Amino acid sequence: MCPVLGHLDGRFESADAEAEHRIAVLYQEFGGPLLRHVRKSTGNDLQWAEDVVQETLVRAWRNSARLQWEPSLIWAWLLTVARRIVIDGRRRKSVRPQEVEPPEVDMMAVPDGSDRALSAMVVADALRSLSAEHREVIEQTYLRDRTISEAAEILGIPPGTVKSRLYYGIRALRELLRDKGVAG
Amino acid sequence: MHDGVAAYVLGVLDEEEHEAFERHLDTCERCQAELLELAELPDQLDELKNASSTSDDDPPMSMSR
Ligand SMILES: [Zn+2]
Repeated sequence: MCPVLGHLDGRFESADAEAEHRIAVLYQEFGGPLLRHVRKSTGNDLQWAEDVVQETLVRAWRNSARLQWEPSLIWAWLLTVARRIVIDGRRRKSVRPQEVEPPEVDMMAVPDGSDRALSAMVVADALRSLSAEHREVIEQTYLRDRTISEAAEILGIPPGTVKSRLYYGIRALRELLRDKGVAG
Repeated sequence: MHDGVAAYVLGVLDEEEHEAFERHLDTCERCQAELLELAELPDQLDELKNASSTSDDDPPMSMSR
């Protein structure tokens, strides 16, 4: 049985102690992989990545019913939680005009040279072979850190349309990348 | 409702909708399966984001040139 779900009743003197223990177990299970994963999207800003992991695991603990899912689904869910937190952080940073990014961050965003460039190229190719409508909604949402409703306004189409185009576009992209052996 | 899964995975839903979708996810096996399938896709799109972040502020998928 997954230690996250272990029966702990009666072992703790207070609810706080139990909560603390459960968060520690979550760290043990997911902390390392999550940190490695999050670092890629924080431009190697370790402090920020650690904060994101912390917040992700606290949210996971608050939604502990989901921790009874199978581990691969828990992991997929944690990735979405962490991604949200990173995107929120990036949006907050970008509305603060004073903030100056250290110049080396950009350089570090592409750490491992050719592999990474090739992969970006494969993804770019796949995007290009989507229909214009599908490509457009992917560009106008995720690739620009915009929400569905912001993109809807810019594109002049209803949010529901953006959402469903995004669904079919993402499914198509996933199929293309699977054919190319990129996705699992 | 099911088609929200892509926007959910990408993290581009508004707060309220994001939470509503998460509640839907709790009981929808179809969306759980799709979440699993799509979980790695944003990372692949990030390759593109990171690659383009080095060249000033060009739109990520600029078709011009
Ligand atoms: Zn569903």
